[in-house]
Amino acid sequence: MSSKSIRVATDVGGTFTDMVAFETDHATGAVRVVTAKADTTPPDFEMGVLNVLEKGKIDPAEVDFLVHGTTVVINALTERKGVKVGLITTEGFRDTLEIARGNRPDFFNLHYQKPKPFVARHLRRELPGRMSYRGIEMRPLDLSGLPDILDDFREQGVLAVAIAYLHSYANTRHEAATVEAVRRLWPEASVVASHQITREWREYERTNTAVLSAYVQPAAERYLTRLADGLKAKGFRARPYVMQSNCGIDTLDAAKRVPITMVESGPASGFWGAAELGRLIGQPNVIALDIGGTTAKCSLIENGQVRITSDYWIERDRKSAGYPIMVPVVDLVEIGNGGGSIAWVDDFAKLHVGPHSAGAVPGPAAYGRGGTNATTTDANLWLGRINRDYFCGGEVKADMAATELALSAVGDALGVSVMEAARGIIRIANNNMVNALKLVSVNRGYDPRDFTLVAFGGGGAMHAVALAAELGISHVVIPAAASVFSAWGMMMSDLRRDHFVTRLVDLTPSAAAVIEALFGETEALSRAQFAQEGVAPAQVKMQRFGKFRYQNQEHTTEVLIEPGAITDTRLAEIEAAFHQAYEREYTYRLNAPVEMVGIHLIASAEVGKLKMVERPLSDTPASAALKGRRDVDYILDGQHQADIYDGDRLEPGMHFDGPAIVEDVGTTMVIHPGYRVLVDGYSNLHITLKS
Amino acid sequence: MKDLSHDPITLEIIQNSLQAAADEMFAVMKKTAMSSIIYEVLDMGTGITDAKGALASSGAGIPSFVGVLDKAVKVIVAKFIKPDDVEPGDVFATNDPYFGGVTHLNDVIVAMPVFADGRLIAWAANIAHNSDVGGMAPGSLSGHATEIFQEGLRLPAIKIISKGVPIRPVFEIIKFNSRMPDVLEGDVWAAIASVRIGARRLGELAAKYGVATFENAMVTFLDHGEALARRELAKLPKGTFELSEEQDDGRVFNVKITISDDAFLVDLRDNPDQSTGPVNASRDGVMVCAQMIFKSLTDPASPANEGSFRLIKLLTREGSVFHAAEPAAIGFYYEIELRVYDIMWRCLAQAMPDRLAAGHFASVCGTFIGGIHPDTGRQYTIIEPQVGGWGASRTGDGNTAIFSGSHGETYNCPAEINEARNGLIVDQMALNLEPGGEGKYTGGHGIVMDYRLRADNGFLTAGYTRSKFPAWALDGGHEGSANYIEVIRKHGGRERYAFVSGLVTHTDDVIRVVTGNGGGIGNPKDRDRAAVAEDVLNGLITKDRAADIYGWRP
Repeated sequence: MSSKSIRVATDVGGTFTDMVAFETDHATGAVRVVTAKADTTPPDFEMGVLNVLEKGKIDPAEVDFLVHGTTVVINALTERKGVKVGLITTEGFRDTLEIARGNRPDFFNLHYQKPKPFVARHLRRELPGRMSYRGIEMRPLDLSGLPDILDDFREQGVLAVAIAYLHSYANTRHEAATVEAVRRLWPEASVVASHQITREWREYERTNTAVLSAYVQPAAERYLTRLADGLKAKGFRARPYVMQSNCGIDTLDAAKRVPITMVESGPASGFWGAAELGRLIGQPNVIALDIGGTTAKCSLIENGQVRITSDYWIERDRKSAGYPIMVPVVDLVEIGNGGGSIAWVDDFAKLHVGPHSAGAVPGPAAYGRGGTNATTTDANLWLGRINRDYFCGGEVKADMAATELALSAVGDALGVSVMEAARGIIRIANNNMVNALKLVSVNRGYDPRDFTLVAFGGGGAMHAVALAAELGISHVVIPAAASVFSAWGMMMSDLRRDHFVTRLVDLTPSAAAVIEALFGETEALSRAQFAQEGVAPAQVKMQRFGKFRYQNQEHTTEVLIEPGAITDTRLAEIEAAFHQAYEREYTYRLNAPVEMVGIHLIASAEVGKLKMVERPLSDTPASAALKGRRDVDYILDGQHQADIYDGDRLEPGMHFDGPAIVEDVGTTMVIHPGYRVLVDGYSNLHITLKS
Repeated sequence: MKDLSHDPITLEIIQNSLQAAADEMFAVMKKTAMSSIIYEVLDMGTGITDAKGALASSGAGIPSFVGVLDKAVKVIVAKFIKPDDVEPGDVFATNDPYFGGVTHLNDVIVAMPVFADGRLIAWAANIAHNSDVGGMAPGSLSGHATEIFQEGLRLPAIKIISKGVPIRPVFEIIKFNSRMPDVLEGDVWAAIASVRIGARRLGELAAKYGVATFENAMVTFLDHGEALARRELAKLPKGTFELSEEQDDGRVFNVKITISDDAFLVDLRDNPDQSTGPVNASRDGVMVCAQMIFKSLTDPASPANEGSFRLIKLLTREGSVFHAAEPAAIGFYYEIELRVYDIMWRCLAQAMPDRLAAGHFASVCGTFIGGIHPDTGRQYTIIEPQVGGWGASRTGDGNTAIFSGSHGETYNCPAEINEARNGLIVDQMALNLEPGGEGKYTGGHGIVMDYRLRADNGFLTAGYTRSKFPAWALDGGHEGSANYIEVIRKHGGRERYAFVSGLVTHTDDVIRVVTGNGGGIGNPKDRDRAAVAEDVLNGLITKDRAADIYGWRP
């Protein structure tokens, strides 16, 4: 056995492909982090990944564990770069994809444009056959029309076939038979049926999910196959894993079959990292905040559990109905507020920040690349919160003249000084983020004061303390290496699959047996899948949740079901837990019958997690890491001379008080006056907001 | 902390938070309601008013509910004037259009006062359509009603919770007057949860920033709404515009709109007397319609508040169809509101080509189907509006299959859920391919949906307008197609309806819902050839018809 192990996370972004390698020395437990960046290489994305490994001087033959993250799926969807899809659906329902749900979110706008379906009407075809909502065949499937349909598809240049039948969540037989027939008649085409992705009801959502999956499948499948081959050719011996939207990883082979499950894998790894970090430091209740260049995302973790839902939509906002994708995705709120978000003043002298971003090019005015718009980053620079002499880790010379010009344009429009304009921008940006944080906490019945705020991404540490103060949160944690935190999250992920299955069950006597059988069936299916991929059944952990509601309601509340067979006695306890969870969220409970609408099963297995070693706390005073002092504007807390610390030189055990700034290559941490900072044994910064 | 009561950034932060509170109230109601018309159709709205009832912000939902809540709160404020009449923890309710309820008795408005520093500073309010509030027919709506007493239990702006304690007899009266008592109770509690959340958030805001700052934020927010409206009003063509239009039932409706530098004056006085049937609207209700069209013309992007509507002046005649007097029945008010909204739109469309498209299917197409679920034996009731086609604009084709101008963030019911919940079969849900809406730019398509019944002795009630006179066209385009409902009997026979009440249905009868295509714009011969070819390829029009109407040759 070698003296060290190497774990690698690679991430294909829109512009760059990143790599973070964690080298663990077996003797000391010390972890060395290596990062590298290369260009993304569409459409041969595997090239960028192999390039970045080479740039980081990582030999695939020596890598023990590799996780691959990718934005290829979401980018193919938003840039409309998928393939032509043909849809086969139940007779009478070819227009479901176009009728959609009929909503007009932007309801005073008489020029609203409904999102266009991904498949044109002539490529949406029907076959006879019908299941009932209870999964009983009402009319047999008639495949006699299929060859003609496939001929038309070929002629029209279709490359992928999606199949979605009514009630396939309850009985998959018709869809499975159609998949088999398509494979036999047209082996070259890529084909996916809705039940292979989800077993939940709502035909528009499930049909659209199948269609979008088919849309991205050929490209994703091709590059993932080539990636596996390329790594193997270079001597990589382990099994490559792919990051998923449910905060878990999956085998590359499984990801290839249903690539749509990678759609939100980017944010998922960071939120999983926050959950793991919480466990590591004994804080199971965490609000995680990830602030990047264009957006801020947040999610709530209760008792170490990330919330996973299948109610996920792309391109949905106040102006558009968007498109549903019914896959397990970490429950997050995302807003258009990041470091590059542009501040603007409307005709009524009202200040706004975002959602438009200056992006990487031209970027904030301070980049000196011709950007004339003031961004949040410009405001942070002007107020001394970001070090103008150490901008972007010293890699960019801050163009303060351009920043001043951009900020004074905002100030002039508002009739205030440059300084007041900069303060206003930070306050508005912070308020937008506070509202997003409230959406994941107070809006769901959680009191943020019961949580620890874990902030990461390039801008998380800059705003975290002010946001925590606003929400009454008393404990903020900035993880070590906050800017590569998502990669760390991937290293901590388990192999994980979330199974959602719709099944209506009244909670009457005998219901327990039905529910137990449904869990048993789903668990057996999941174990069999894992076994096929070489994961031993004993290694797989199962966690059960039920989705309950009062009879006649629609939306459900998820309740954890402890291990052990479900009996009628236990069902009564589960029902009581539902009443309690419901009342917490909605302020009241009812004396009405309760029904189960479906199950949520999490199947997971540990496959190669990074082991963290806690270092002893030293007595060295923090002054050893002090690199200077400067004036910093803390907005409503006033201007102060702040101590500036070098993040690289902070050691476990060091502590100091605000006003202070900690500067790292990737991030700047702003510590308001009176708050206390402590560096823990894993080099995380803990900020206590009690003066 | 320094005085922030006039700091513009602080005021804006409070204004954003008011919006967030209204949105949170909406989310709570949606998740807890028991009627599909609330949680799926989202026939509901939330809002926040100042202490006197001026609308400060509104949540998502449907546009025809945005201007309702303030009118209800104003009636409550005017009625409860004695000291101790309004106290922390109180909750009030009204559903009666003659007591600030604006719409019909199914819509229960719940309002809760917000106190800070010992005085009333705001109200959190909520409206939602309840499935059954009693009255002569299941679902409380009947085309046969001639008096409001036949349309359900009247709640004339009353207190239902006193200092946090529910007034039990009131709750019992409400519950036991419904054919669906558990559902009604659940929905009323969902509404209470919603206003309690809103009131809590407003209280937190006032505590954090101080009452003076909070109140000033509301005042400046309303002034801002007015300034936005005023700026856009200046851009509208000035003058008086008038339109008279015959309705499906033979009545002729008239509107005169005078746009001047500082007012948008809607005159509806020259209209028929109120009907003896339930096809009347309250004055408050038609005011909401004027507000909707005005908001769409001036500032569709930002959330509405009282300031947005200050420039509107409305003239009505009491005792007329648009200003019904007690005890006129009012159940189908929503079709009357859509009619007045649509004629205002049509009246201005010629003069404002960039702002207004051709006519849409313009009916809620409210459809009520009930009976016994054959698998569970329980009573089910479907109450749903339908999606239909919207008119073409000068820049493109109209939308296909979206809800009418009255509805907004409203969702249709998935067939899979419909079949499970209601025990019937949805045989098809398809685009309506009937002729209509052709033009240089075409109207969007309506739908055809078939409900096949699995049990005997069910009922159908419906009230569709634009069934005789379809969506109107512009500039030489073709008008759209009709909204109607058909019953195709198992034992032969096909009946067509626009208005029908309590029709008895049996196993394997098919109820077919057909909604209209929107109106077209411009001469069809001017339509882009590639667009016509695409319509043919997609089976939206036959080759023969394409040749005939568009002069198309393959």
